[in-house]
Amino acid sequence: MRRPIAITLITLVLSATAASAAEAPTRDEYVGQLETVCKPDALATQRAMKGARADIRAERLKVASKKFAEATSIFGSTVKEISAVPRPSADTARLAKWFTYLKRQESYLGQITEQLRLDHPVKAQRLTARFIHNGNLANNVVLAFGFDYCSFKFSRYG
Amino acid sequence: MLALLAALLVAGIAQGERVQRGNLIVRLDGNFSPLALPRDRMAPVSVRIEAGLATSDQSVLPRVTRIELGIPGQGAIHSKGLPACSTRRLRDATTARALEACGPALIGRGAMVAQVKIPNQDPFAVHAKLLAFNGRVGGRRAVIVHGVSKKPPTSVVLPFLIHLRPGKFGTVLVAHLPRTLGPWPRFARFKMDFARRYVYRGQRLSYINASCPIPKRFTAGFFSFAKATFTLADGRHLSTGIARSCRAR
Repeated sequence: MRRPIAITLITLVLSATAASAAEAPTRDEYVGQLETVCKPDALATQRAMKGARADIRAERLKVASKKFAEATSIFGSTVKEISAVPRPSADTARLAKWFTYLKRQESYLGQITEQLRLDHPVKAQRLTARFIHNGNLANNVVLAFGFDYCSFKFSRYG
Repeated sequence: MLALLAALLVAGIAQGERVQRGNLIVRLDGNFSPLALPRDRMAPVSVRIEAGLATSDQSVLPRVTRIELGIPGQGAIHSKGLPACSTRRLRDATTARALEACGPALIGRGAMVAQVKIPNQDPFAVHAKLLAFNGRVGGRRAVIVHGVSKKPPTSVVLPFLIHLRPGKFGTVLVAHLPRTLGPWPRFARFKMDFARRYVYRGQRLSYINASCPIPKRFTAGFFSFAKATFTLADGRHLSTGIARSCRAR
């Protein structure tokens, strides 16, 4: 009785491993999938943030806050969507680290939005410095992936 | 040998913002001084720019045919009253001769590393000292870069033409790497420090000037500081930009 159970278990484990290996994309496939998601969102962010820097320069912080709020929402939905994409098995640790940075980016964007809304320019400026630094750290983690639209680019933010 | 050279090249460009396309890594770094600038008018600044290429798999670098360096509108190149030099006066000159011929037009100093791959030989690195001079080429303002390496003894003159364009990077310096350099030297990295103050008609002026145009309630601002674009012999373009902050005084 024990033998058939053991064989069944081994078969199950093997088929599960084979299935996950079949599902796991290569790094190139993964980058291609993510870029498809990131491209429209990156372009939408650029459109949403248009003129934000000029708004801040002219002290229209509430107007800038609305633009940051839209960028935060776009960023959040992008991260959610790309989190669900199966990851290359060899890159799981590196990508987990990248997603930690992306979550932090989302949080910084939300905090900048809030501080601008509350008319706290100096707090918003400090958070912006962290946002840029964290974005560069995120880029360094996935440098070898060669992301374009999924990488952090300061120039997209106004 | 190739691995060691590649490791050295990568180690040399370990800082700054990087972008990778395929096996090629492009990197840009830079800063300016002083950090604290007036909000409403230009003030003299010194600028350091470092840029380079490396390969992630230790293969030989591709040939670069064009380098473009963009700087933002709030930074301005001011050369009125500054002596100008020509490429002709610098050609085949040693560093001492270049300074003798064009010293008053000197605007910066730096260094460059190129990888040289001669068929059937291990690649080797060439280190060159750079001098940058204010100049005019074909009637256009230019930064003329003069490079001299001791080993092997070589000199090169590379003019970066200054273009003014609308957009985030209002001032763009463009250099075409001439075919006469040959197929062997591959640009790896450079760093340049620009700092030139001079007196013209009793006024103290600076070659590079900048402001920090932020509202009174802010103490610091962030801006796109520079963008480097490399065009490769196979037609590919690789670019990266860096953001920096300034403080208002």
